[in-house]
Amino acid sequence: MHGYANPARFLKIARWFTMPLLVGGLLVTAAALVWGWTSAPPDRLMGDSVKILFIHLPAAWLGMGGWTAIAIASLVELVWRHPLAAISARAVAVPGAVFAFLCLVTGSIWGRPTWGTWWVWDGRLTSMLVLLFLYLGYIALTNALAREGSSSRIAAIFGLVGAINVPIINRSVVWWNSLHQPASITMGNSAIDPVYLYPLLASVLGFSLLFGGVVFARMRAILADAQAEARLRRKAQKAELAQTARGDA
Amino acid sequence: MTDSATRGLKPKHQRLVLLSLALVALIGAGLLAAWALRNQASYFYLPSEIVAHAPGPDQGVRLGGMVEMGSIKEQPDGTTIHFVVEDGTAKVPVSFTGIVPALFVEGSGVVADGRMGADGVFVAEELLAKHDENYVPKELEGMSQEQVRRQVEATLE
Amino acid sequence: MRETLDMMDFVYAAYAICLVGTLTLAGWSFASMRAAEKRREESRRK
Repeated sequence: MHGYANPARFLKIARWFTMPLLVGGLLVTAAALVWGWTSAPPDRLMGDSVKILFIHLPAAWLGMGGWTAIAIASLVELVWRHPLAAISARAVAVPGAVFAFLCLVTGSIWGRPTWGTWWVWDGRLTSMLVLLFLYLGYIALTNALAREGSSSRIAAIFGLVGAINVPIINRSVVWWNSLHQPASITMGNSAIDPVYLYPLLASVLGFSLLFGGVVFARMRAILADAQAEARLRRKAQKAELAQTARGDA
Repeated sequence: MTDSATRGLKPKHQRLVLLSLALVALIGAGLLAAWALRNQASYFYLPSEIVAHAPGPDQGVRLGGMVEMGSIKEQPDGTTIHFVVEDGTAKVPVSFTGIVPALFVEGSGVVADGRMGADGVFVAEELLAKHDENYVPKELEGMSQEQVRRQVEATLE
Repeated sequence: MRETLDMMDFVYAAYAICLVGTLTLAGWSFASMRAAEKRREESRRK
C-alpha cells in the first residue's frame, strides 16, 4: 500500500509546482535572451553569431543532464523499487530529447558561418548525436512497455547502460582532437567574458525551470494515464466476474 | 539465491551491490574503449604528428593547428593562398585554392583536409576554421603576443 | 577569396527553431497532462 501513498503525496506537491515552473521558466528564459541579445557585443572573431551561445549551451547541458537524471532514477528504481522512479525517468525522456535536438540544430547553424561547415564527424558532435538516438530509442522502448503493461525494468537497464555516453560527450573534446572547442566553463573557471557569461547563466536558469515544469507535467500525465487505465481494467474485470456468476446460477 | 548465500543481506542491499559492480564494470569498459580509440577518433593530426609520421602522398589526412602570424600569402591568381600551420613545436606549409571561411585568420585555429605533397607542402582541399574556448568582445581585441601564445597553447592542449 | 555570410541570418534561424521547439514542448506537455487528468476523472465517475 505504500506504493499508493507516495504518488498521492507527490501529486499534491506537483499540482502546486507545475504551472509556476512552466510559466516562470518561459518568462525567465525570455528575459535572459532579451538581456543577452541587447547587452552582448559581437565576439572578437565570431561576430553576432555568439548570440547562439545563449540557447546552444543550455540545450547541451539539459540534454546531458536529462540522461544523468534518467540514469539516477533507473538506479533508484532497480535498487529501491521506488514507485515514482520509473515514472520520473520516463518523464525526463521527451524534454531531454528535445533539448539534445535543439543543441544539435543550433550548433549546426552556428558551425556554418564560423567553422565553414554544417556538420563534421568529430568526437563531440558524434557523441551528442548518439545521445539523441539513445533518447529516441528509450522513448520508443518505454512507450512499448507501458502499452503492453510490462515491467519497466528493461528500460531502467537501458537508462543505466546509456549513461556511459554522458561522460564520453563531456570528455570528447579533451581525449580527441576535435573541431569543437574545449569546455569554456569548467569548475570555478570561465573563459567567457562576463558580458556574455551573466546572461548565459540566466538563460541556463530559465531553461532549467522550464525543463522542471515539463518533467512535472509529464509525470502527472503518466500517473493519470496509469490510474485511469487501472481503474477501467478493474471495472471490466468486475463486470466479467458478475456475468460469470450470473451464468453459474 | 538461498539465504545462506546472501548471508542475511536484505534484497535491497543485494541489488545495490550487484548493480554497483555492474556499473563499475560498464564504466571501466567504456573508458577502456574510449582510451583505445584515442588516436583513431581524433578529427585531425597536429603538425608535429604529421612531421613525425609523414603520410603517403595518396593518403588523405586532416591537419589541425594554429595559423602562424604573418604567414598568410595571397598568390597572384587571386584564389590560391599559402600559409603555415604550427603547434608550437613543428610547422607545416599549406597551400589552398578556393573560398576560405570567414573566421580563418592568422593566430587562430584551422583544420585543413587534404594530402601531403612530395615537396613537403600540404595541399588542402577544404579549410575549416576552429574556434577556441574563449569568448571575448570585439573591444578587447589587440591582445599582446604573450596572450596570443597562451591562447595558442590553450587551444592545442 | 573570403566567404562573406550575414551572421544575423543564422542567429535568427537558430532562435526561431529554439522558440518553436520550447513552446511546442511546454504546450504539448501541459495539454497532454490536462487531457490525461480529465480521462482519470471520467474513469472515476463512470
